[in-house]
Amino acid sequence: MRKTRSRRFIPATALALAAITSLAACSGGGGGGGEQGGGSGSGSGAASGTDPDKFTVMTANENPTLESLLTQLSEDQCAAENEALPIEHQKVAQADVVQKITLLASQDAMPAHTIAGTALIRPDGDLGAAGLVQDLQAALEDSGGWENVLPAAASTEENVYGGFVSMPYQYNIEGFWYNKQIFEEQGIEVPTTWEDLLAAADTLQQAGVQPMTTAGAQGFPLTRLMGMYIFRNVGPDAMEAIRDGDAKLTDEEYVAGAQALADLAATGYFGEGFTTRDGDTSTNLFLTGTAAMTYDGSWILGAVNDPERNQIGGENVGFFPFPEVEGGEGSIEQYPANAGAPMIISAKTYGPKVADWVSCIAENYGGLALNEAGVISGFTVNEEVTDISPNTAEIQELISGIDEETVLWFEALFDPKSNSLASTNATLLTTGQMTAEDYMAALQESIDANK
Amino acid sequence: MQSIFGDRKTIFILLGPALLLYTLLKVAPVAWSFGLSFFEGNTLRGFEWVGVDNFATFLNDDAALQAVWVSVVFAVAATVGQVTLGYLLALLYVFVLRKGSSLVRTIVFFPTILPTVAVALLFKSFVAVGDNQGPVNDIINFFGGESVEVLASTYGTMLTAIVMTLWSSMGFYAVLLYAGLLDIPEDVVESARIDGASGLRLVRHIILPLSLPILLSSIIFSFNSTLKVFDSLLALNNGGPGTSTSPLTLFMYRTAFEYAEYGYGSTIALVLTLLCLVFTLAVFRSTRRKVED
Amino acid sequence: MALDISAPPAPTPAPPRATASPGRRRAPGWRSTKRVLRRIPVWILVAALMVVVLYPQVWMVLGSFKTQSEFLSNPALSLPETWQFDNYITALTNGNVGRNYLNSVLVTIPSVILIVFIGVAAGYALEVMIWKGQRGTLLYILAGIMVPGQMILVPLFIVYFRAGLTNSLLPLIITYTVMGLPLTTFLMATYFRAVPREIFEAATMDGSSPLRNFFVIGVPMMRNAILTVGLVQFFSVWNDLLIALTFTTRPDLATIQVGLLSLSDEYGSTQYGPLFAAVSINIVVLLVVFLALNKKIMAGMAGGAVKG
Repeated sequence: MRKTRSRRFIPATALALAAITSLAACSGGGGGGGEQGGGSGSGSGAASGTDPDKFTVMTANENPTLESLLTQLSEDQCAAENEALPIEHQKVAQADVVQKITLLASQDAMPAHTIAGTALIRPDGDLGAAGLVQDLQAALEDSGGWENVLPAAASTEENVYGGFVSMPYQYNIEGFWYNKQIFEEQGIEVPTTWEDLLAAADTLQQAGVQPMTTAGAQGFPLTRLMGMYIFRNVGPDAMEAIRDGDAKLTDEEYVAGAQALADLAATGYFGEGFTTRDGDTSTNLFLTGTAAMTYDGSWILGAVNDPERNQIGGENVGFFPFPEVEGGEGSIEQYPANAGAPMIISAKTYGPKVADWVSCIAENYGGLALNEAGVISGFTVNEEVTDISPNTAEIQELISGIDEETVLWFEALFDPKSNSLASTNATLLTTGQMTAEDYMAALQESIDANK
Repeated sequence: MQSIFGDRKTIFILLGPALLLYTLLKVAPVAWSFGLSFFEGNTLRGFEWVGVDNFATFLNDDAALQAVWVSVVFAVAATVGQVTLGYLLALLYVFVLRKGSSLVRTIVFFPTILPTVAVALLFKSFVAVGDNQGPVNDIINFFGGESVEVLASTYGTMLTAIVMTLWSSMGFYAVLLYAGLLDIPEDVVESARIDGASGLRLVRHIILPLSLPILLSSIIFSFNSTLKVFDSLLALNNGGPGTSTSPLTLFMYRTAFEYAEYGYGSTIALVLTLLCLVFTLAVFRSTRRKVED
Repeated sequence: MALDISAPPAPTPAPPRATASPGRRRAPGWRSTKRVLRRIPVWILVAALMVVVLYPQVWMVLGSFKTQSEFLSNPALSLPETWQFDNYITALTNGNVGRNYLNSVLVTIPSVILIVFIGVAAGYALEVMIWKGQRGTLLYILAGIMVPGQMILVPLFIVYFRAGLTNSLLPLIITYTVMGLPLTTFLMATYFRAVPREIFEAATMDGSSPLRNFFVIGVPMMRNAILTVGLVQFFSVWNDLLIALTFTTRPDLATIQVGLLSLSDEYGSTQYGPLFAAVSINIVVLLVVFLALNKKIMAGMAGGAVKG
């Protein structure tokens, strides 16, 4: 009795669902596509949008520093701009950025200044194509504030986003951080070639010191090493050639990068259990003197400057750039760099008042961030620097002095899917569950499939 | 009698709010999303009709098929484990500890409410190798074995994830089943005891049949939640090594929200829902004779 | 076949659990000693269970007193070198924790009340009332627990946005209620099914109205089940991150789970001490709720015993 009743019910529901589905899908599809056309072009420098009611800034939950620094600006140096257009904060979790921004933009409600996903803001990305991303080089040149942007930051952004579209609130360069004391004790010189690096690591291992540490659990620290080997070997345009289809990851000189990483892991230089080591543990191994080197970005300075975490002392922490690969096309001067999570200005709401905000931030942020939070940004420092650690000062100086082009990281130009595959498969590569050839072949296949 | 239990107005008042909310805010959005299985794109880019292309893609997508396998293996293992452990605990509460079970119940329930991130961190430290080697490898070393990097292998990761899930959910199922066991009239149990049924026999012939409805509901609920396992596999090893322990939900989440391919993401969700439906119907079918008294 | 109680009676009629049914029969002295001995394995089992379950929680609480480098260098179960309360200060002052807790309470309590109220009513209508299509409707609602929750986020966001609700906590309350309903309804229907029909039928003899029956007979009878389901929903709402993240952007609407995110940084680094401190605080808060409700469950049990 009950059985027959439920049988009859199911087809009826299915029919009703199908009806709703087709209706909803049609209206959804139409609404999503149609409204974007009117966005102002991202090419113009003049404030061509309409000012919003509030200067709404959406930052990552994981980055409370940026929120508090911008609030500080609104109370001090940018008080006038804040008077004209008050700042208002919104938050989004980093993992949720792409979804949230896509949704908000589809509802024509993107905040005036917002965090975004790298792939979204490129000219052919969803936000870029919809004309929602303001060209900030044009904007700052228009207001006379372009000189506040470091050339290195401009170069990095050009490489990764295809234009200067993000406020460079952070600017990180990457390289090897090493324990000066251990190097001295073992009589090791700072390596400048890959061979030197391997020799140094070997010496350290013989002496019973763990040569390097890496946060293998996160994947990207591993692919960074591979990527840098490729940049040094093939040249700074190595990954652009992959994007443009001029080269394949399965080409011999690219596979050599994966092989170099696999070899490094196989010799045990990273220590036991590196594939499940997270960022904090890895940094800790270096800062407690267990490991002699670590490849990391300059964000590590936060931990280096923390006396509670840094037990080897700031004076024992040194930095050297990723060494050259013998016979390679790249140069040791080409620093790998990134500008943190992108923070774009909406072209739609880029009116005169927002323009004032942008120039005020560009002028004052660099000094404030360095003095207040020890954060190195891609803006020039226009105030006297008072109380920062020698380590931070060293890197800050290095960054300000970079005039040659910077390079990106291995997966920077990949589509999001291949990007994720590159780091997830890194564990398989470094534990010998996947060969260098297979790793690159799988990745190339994914890149081709997502063109 | 019939008129009292068949009063239309009462049924409407009691059921109306649930049905209305559920239909408007769950069924309709889900239907909207499922409709998008036949489209390509996202809310910003707009949607383009692609027919059954997404389904064809799914069937040829190695990553998708692997994710189905991961979800099913996890769901079967976790369901068998957590319902069994939960039921044993519930029996312990009701028939052994009796009125003194409150504290034990509370303590065993507690892992359920701990954030998955913290639990995953804990289990990672259990199986760790290297400088901070965890107790698991200490034990292996003690018996002369070499340290194993558990999370570098697919089996190790799955096993850890399942143990972790059982640890944190057995208390939940215990409480769920406990509430069901409490409703078994005491005199039924007593009279069976007087008839001489005891221990296992009592459980098998009296308790089990009487608690079958709630047991069945638990199994269905367990399948439906473990097939949708998400945060524990993500937090434990990010679905790795490689993507070998990425379940369907993680694959769907990445596709829809990280790669902004909402259409294909909806297709994956639809497949997942069908999978849940198949499992639920299978559980219903296999026990139909027993519930329909 | 299922209800097979016709098994031959065992020769020795010694019910092992007789201790707990007071006054059933008087036990001689040697028997009670034997019973105590028989209880020993049970206590060993319970003790082992406690260790397995409590160990990690103790680990977490101890972790909340360690400094970052201490935790990283020695994550195993060990006492902290010095008892650091700094983590608790960080956890309680980081960002806007007071506001976050308040938001969590403001969202969780109405949601749970709504879920339980609507769900119990629906469960009663689906299981106790008799009408055409009840089985189908139950399946229709059951289908709700099969759908991955992520699928309703995007459509609902658009609906809430167009309705102008996104600047309040309402979207959270509404969504939690809807998400919790299928399971609650399904479980309540199951619990109602376990009650023999005669009890309802006997109780309705005195001519009370059908709706009154629900409140006077149905609800009190289900006290245990309602509290259990309510508890389950309380924890799932309290611990949710996904929905809270999707429907709020204003920091003053963030719940505690969202607030905890600021203890991690953009490069994947986490302040473990404060995180564990926050989790420990959560444990204490929830423990209070749980114990308070457990008292009620005990009372309900006593009531049930009287009924039986």
